[in-house]
Amino acid sequence: MLDELKRQAIEKCAGTVLEDDQIIALPVKPVEIAERRGILVEPKPSSAKGVSGMLVKAGDNFAIAYATHISSEGFRRFSVAHELGHYFIPGHPEAIFANGNQHVSHAGFVAGDPIELEADHFAASLLMPRALFVRAMDRRRDGMDAVQGLAEVCETSLTATAIRYAELSSARVAVVVSSSTTIDYCFMSKSLRTVKGIRWPRKGRPLPKLSATLGLRKRPGAVDSREADSTDGDTTDWFDSDHELSLSEEVIGLGEYGRTLTVLTVDEPDDDDDDAEQSPQFLR
Amino acid sequence: MTDKSQFAQRLRHAREEMRQVTQGKLAELAGLPATAISHFEADARKPSFDSLRRLANALNVTTDWLLGRTDEPSSSGVVSRFHRDLQNISESDLQTVELLVKALADKNKSGS
Repeated sequence: MLDELKRQAIEKCAGTVLEDDQIIALPVKPVEIAERRGILVEPKPSSAKGVSGMLVKAGDNFAIAYATHISSEGFRRFSVAHELGHYFIPGHPEAIFANGNQHVSHAGFVAGDPIELEADHFAASLLMPRALFVRAMDRRRDGMDAVQGLAEVCETSLTATAIRYAELSSARVAVVVSSSTTIDYCFMSKSLRTVKGIRWPRKGRPLPKLSATLGLRKRPGAVDSREADSTDGDTTDWFDSDHELSLSEEVIGLGEYGRTLTVLTVDEPDDDDDDAEQSPQFLR
Repeated sequence: MTDKSQFAQRLRHAREEMRQVTQGKLAELAGLPATAISHFEADARKPSFDSLRRLANALNVTTDWLLGRTDEPSSSGVVSRFHRDLQNISESDLQTVELLVKALADKNKSGS
């Protein structure tokens, strides 16, 4: 988990790139940003799995290769933006060369390597700039509608959009990603974390028995065919919670990823406190 | 002085001894904020690849020399690749790197 100061610095770094390129509308086009710097961007053959993306430095020239075996355009754009993060974030050259000529790390939002987390946060900040994202978010109904609408205008994956949504939404929302009948990870919005008596669901916590998410996971083919479902519940179903607060649960299968994305939108609570942290968090 | 990084030392050397320009002038030539050069030379900030390229262009040296990866100001070190999921790297990925390096070399030759 990146600390708040680092997150702000990286968001500012992405903001400077957007400002330099005079980008004031969505969607942001990472390939054009690269090409304006003379960075060659090439797709890898679609048959090749391998790494999701790479930044290659030969002399003073740079190239980005990105994976195409996953059909999501959002995934590809995020991969290019992630590699741009390695190019633009101060200190990354030193981090690479401290490790020889390559940097070793593992993929995903749950990766613990700070260099990869920084590049992921850069990619999210570049493709979903705070001001433009919030403006677009405020025009949409809270929950899955907002996530899907924002993913469309930002041309980003549902998962990346949902995580950014949890970070920037003023609503009491949580985003849960599952790849089996348990929770892989969860991001909560700042306003949900301020609700007294609510604690994060831990990785590996079983999905609630009566949840739409578990129901969808158990239906053969439902995840692959990107089925969606919804139901109502309360916070004690999902969290260690001192209060029963009503919530709406909306879930969608993510297709070839084999995962489900769940958005929980909690109704107004009775009680608040001000001990909020500043960013969404993941608990293992 | 000696406890500073090679980058900080070489940046200052190139600016003062090789090009004889002020920090402000170098910042202007590189299109970087005026305070950036003093921070880099003091080792208070680390450069990005983007900053390195701008500085190398402005000073007519290579990024690899600035980083201390080669001893000749005009030469470059070995190819570097930077990626996640090393455990997933495939033979095809290595071929992709080779193709990209060739494309970059061709681009360099054509001066574009």
